Amino acid sequence: MRLYEHEAKRVFAKRGLRVPESLGLLYKGCGELDVPAEVLDGGPVMVKAQVLTGGRGKAGGVAKASTPEELNAAVARILDLRIKGFPVEAVLVERAASYRGACYLGVTTDPRTAGLVLIASAAGGVDIEEVARNRPEAILKLPVAGNPAELPAADAERAGAFLAEGLGEPDLAPALADAASRLFAAFQAHDCKVLEINPLLVTDEGLLAADAKMVIDDNALYRQARLLDELGIRSKRHDVAEPTANERRAAKAGFFYVDLHPEDWKPEPGQVVVGLVPGGAGYGIFSIDEVRNVGDRFFDGRVVPFNFMDSGGGPTLARVAEMFHLLMDDPRVDLVITSRFGGISSCDTFIRGLVRALRERHADGRRVVRVHGRMVGTDLPAARAFLESAMRETPEALARLDITVGNRQIMAEVIKEGLRRHFEEVGA
Amino acid sequence: MTTLPIADGMLAWLVRERRPDLARRIAETGRIETAVIGLGRQGTRHAGLMREFGTTVTAAVSPEAGLKVVHETIPVYPTVAAMLAEHPDIAAVSIWKHFSTAKYAALECIEAGIPIVVLISEGMPVRDVRDVLVAAREKGTLLLGPNTPGIIFPPERVKVGMLPDVFHPAEPEPERFTAEGVTICSRSGAILYHMSDALASAGIAQNAVIGVGGDSAIGTPFPDLVPMVMDFPGTDLVVVAGEIGGIAEELLAEAIRAHPERFPKPIVALISGRYAPEGKTMGHAGAIVSPGADWGTWESKRRALEAAGVTVVNNQWDLIEAVRDKLGGRTYFRAEDYYRRMAERWDAPPPVKRWTTRITKVEPDNLVVRGVPLVDLVAERRFAEVVGLIVDGRFPEDPSALDRVAVEAAKLPVPPVPLRDGDDPSKQLAAILLADEALAAFEGSRAERVAFALGRSAAAFGRIFGHELGEAGTLGELLVRAMAGERAAEAAVARVLEACVVASVDHGVTPPSAQATILSATVRPAYEVAVASGVMAITDVHGGAGARAAEFFLECRDRAEAEGIDLEVAAERIILERSIAGERVEGMGHRVHKRDPRRDVLWRLADEAGVSGACVRASHVVERAFRIARGMSLPVNVDGVIGAIVADMGLDPRVAKAAFVLGRIAGLSAHYFEEIDTQPQMRRVDFSRAVYTG
Repeated sequence: MRLYEHEAKRVFAKRGLRVPESLGLLYKGCGELDVPAEVLDGGPVMVKAQVLTGGRGKAGGVAKASTPEELNAAVARILDLRIKGFPVEAVLVERAASYRGACYLGVTTDPRTAGLVLIASAAGGVDIEEVARNRPEAILKLPVAGNPAELPAADAERAGAFLAEGLGEPDLAPALADAASRLFAAFQAHDCKVLEINPLLVTDEGLLAADAKMVIDDNALYRQARLLDELGIRSKRHDVAEPTANERRAAKAGFFYVDLHPEDWKPEPGQVVVGLVPGGAGYGIFSIDEVRNVGDRFFDGRVVPFNFMDSGGGPTLARVAEMFHLLMDDPRVDLVITSRFGGISSCDTFIRGLVRALRERHADGRRVVRVHGRMVGTDLPAARAFLESAMRETPEALARLDITVGNRQIMAEVIKEGLRRHFEEVGA
Repeated sequence: MTTLPIADGMLAWLVRERRPDLARRIAETGRIETAVIGLGRQGTRHAGLMREFGTTVTAAVSPEAGLKVVHETIPVYPTVAAMLAEHPDIAAVSIWKHFSTAKYAALECIEAGIPIVVLISEGMPVRDVRDVLVAAREKGTLLLGPNTPGIIFPPERVKVGMLPDVFHPAEPEPERFTAEGVTICSRSGAILYHMSDALASAGIAQNAVIGVGGDSAIGTPFPDLVPMVMDFPGTDLVVVAGEIGGIAEELLAEAIRAHPERFPKPIVALISGRYAPEGKTMGHAGAIVSPGADWGTWESKRRALEAAGVTVVNNQWDLIEAVRDKLGGRTYFRAEDYYRRMAERWDAPPPVKRWTTRITKVEPDNLVVRGVPLVDLVAERRFAEVVGLIVDGRFPEDPSALDRVAVEAAKLPVPPVPLRDGDDPSKQLAAILLADEALAAFEGSRAERVAFALGRSAAAFGRIFGHELGEAGTLGELLVRAMAGERAAEAAVARVLEACVVASVDHGVTPPSAQATILSATVRPAYEVAVASGVMAITDVHGGAGARAAEFFLECRDRAEAEGIDLEVAAERIILERSIAGERVEGMGHRVHKRDPRRDVLWRLADEAGVSGACVRASHVVERAFRIARGMSLPVNVDGVIGAIVADMGLDPRVAKAAFVLGRIAGLSAHYFEEIDTQPQMRRVDFSRAVYTG
């Protein structure tokens, strides 16, 4: 989970890394309020968009203001921005600093080894990935052995010396080494995946962390509860994009769901939209590909998968029913493909949930789409017996349900057959 | 079915690379010993499933206090070190601990030198995982996971983890399995079944399926694992199942290009997530595509792998085709055999959930306690011997030691609990036991503890019946003195009354008293609390019918005398009268037995000892009297016989219930110990059966 800049800076301040004086946050909706002119008494200020993505500067999300007019204009303008798809909801106003040098300092996890790496560069304030590509010699990548809570002194000294030399400020080596140590300790103490300062400014008053990026390991949020409480973060932040209505509904029902299309997306005429109720997250991703591939291969590319879904381990009957309801309530879904295979969860619960959803919809006169799929696995005899008796009892409600019981053909064939039936039915 | 000899399979081969000493043991014993670390719901369940599949599950580790055995025979240890001290040959473990403690378990296993560690736990913080990775690298452990479904070896039928039994090995002739085939290495679990299903539909076998783990930080990434499994002679081809997100596939491609000699066999990669939208996280897999990154996307993985000469596919048909092509059309079994076996497997009725005990076998007309027929115990054994047997599973070497514990216990003062006249003696006894500080403070072996509890119960019954216990020599004598007072001096009374106690010792898990004790034991109360719970469930309805039966037989005797009629006729009349009035006749009928085996041996002993009188005679004829009166066949039960004996001895009818209670305390104690030894706390009943109908 990524923190906002202003949150990360509070962490820095607590851990002895100096940050600019914060003059406050302004949220969208307060835009009509003029910022009091007194904030400028101490000198010019920076207005910075608070978004959970990089590249703010290039997108115009950072501005310097020296007069009340500039300040209010900058606040209004930035609060109106969208940066890489993220609407700006708040701006941070803080004291601008005058500085004579800028560098980069970061700690991250090497994706190759899962080990820790301290990264330092005297080229601060610019896109560090660009520096890495164009001037690799300007970057010190220091792998830290093992998994220590504190940065070993030798590593800190090396980083400090490297930066001091690059900045042409040999006297600053101890202060830079100290900053590296503090940053590393914060990274470990707060279970970070990424923690960086870019730029770390050299001012006459000492080092100043002018920006902050902090990403906490989602798996460790439980034990960072104290930090999150201090920052006023009450629930896990959806830091990729805003959830859609379907995603919110699924989260409430206790299963994981992702819409593959934007909320305002509409299929083109002639396209068939396939909702997916797969078993397991891994197959959930693969089934998206399978449906699309089958469509491309046999149905002129007219087949569009609609969603990703993962029931989680051992779903209840009610949750299974809700998984089907959710898809059928979305008017864009033309057909549902479903699969249960192997695994731990019970075919019996699955088929009972599915039949319940179809019966409820039939009884209420709600829309029912074709459900095509296969089930193999735990509790299969009971599931088969239930399905057979359900088919006899309520044939109308289950008229468009077609479940292959047992593995007599591979899932790709089942998908193909379901689509063939659908196209036959709509006469296209 | 002939599985592949374990020493010829891939798992043994992987062990050999790391611990040649263990590999020699595997060759000698023909077994790979495995263990389960963490007995939560999943760990417990899969310990059973792994064993069912064919894996040797030697032991388990759980810190839960008292737990000694899981699935009846798998011993449980509190720590990995304690387990290895007893079972040094354990070669592979699966770890099922919660994410907050999984690190400590994994470090313990790695540092102990276990060569193969499968870390099932999901959701571990990366910082914890890093500690585990550092330790595993140092020790040369083959670490799979975290967040892996495990590893499975179909030819030799061994699995460590939760992968289901859906993978099919090479079967060159019916029912003979060999080590050849395709090895699948995958980041995710559920996709494996569909890959295997696709390959099997074309007759292509899997000799091993290995889940490397779904997280970004894992013990053995593809570049390390793939050469390892390729070295195994049986492996003909490796299928890598990857997905978007992370850098695992790109690193594999890089390794292949840098060291092609380490990858001498064909590889097919199935990469999923081709059509996943950018910037969306998909479930546990951590499959997030970061916009703009030059790794992590489906395209970046395809490009990298194809540049390294790996065929990349994205659907089941292409997977089949690519693998078949690279194997030159080779097949390993007939697809029909696969479908037939799957049908058999999935159509098999689900295993019946059983409620097991190793204490007493209860069959109609047959009772066996710890392997010894109960009738033999009644006829031949002193109660102290029976206590040792039922608690420890074998006769005590020195039963007199138990006698001494009981006799000394009985000398301590009885807690001055107020007793209400007319209360059930079982309720009075339970109240005294619960207030008994000496019992709560007692320390000793289990059998001694039970003997102590029986000594204290004797003292309590002495108070309830107003009997002095005097200087008893044995546990049996002590109990008889509590029940019969001065009459205990008569050898016949002592002998037969002790036999009544032994006859009542246990009747399996189903009696209400045993259920009360077991249910209580699930929440781990003190010993005396669980036993008192069972004692309190002994009422006139269950276990206490003897007292009412004694009254009935006395009535038969008096009626026969008064009216000068035959006992059977007297019984017949009383039964009919009671039936008309809607009253029950106690001491007759049994839920399980027609000819209760305890009945006949007690009749015989009573006759031999010369204590039988009119009441015992009445108990012989009451079955026929009942049939004549009511038209139903209802045999006399053990309560009835004990009631008749107590009545003929001229003792307080409540003594019949006391005899049952004292005997059953030993059985309840055994159930208490069995529950805490073999079941997790708060053992789950089937919650889905709970229905609100208000």
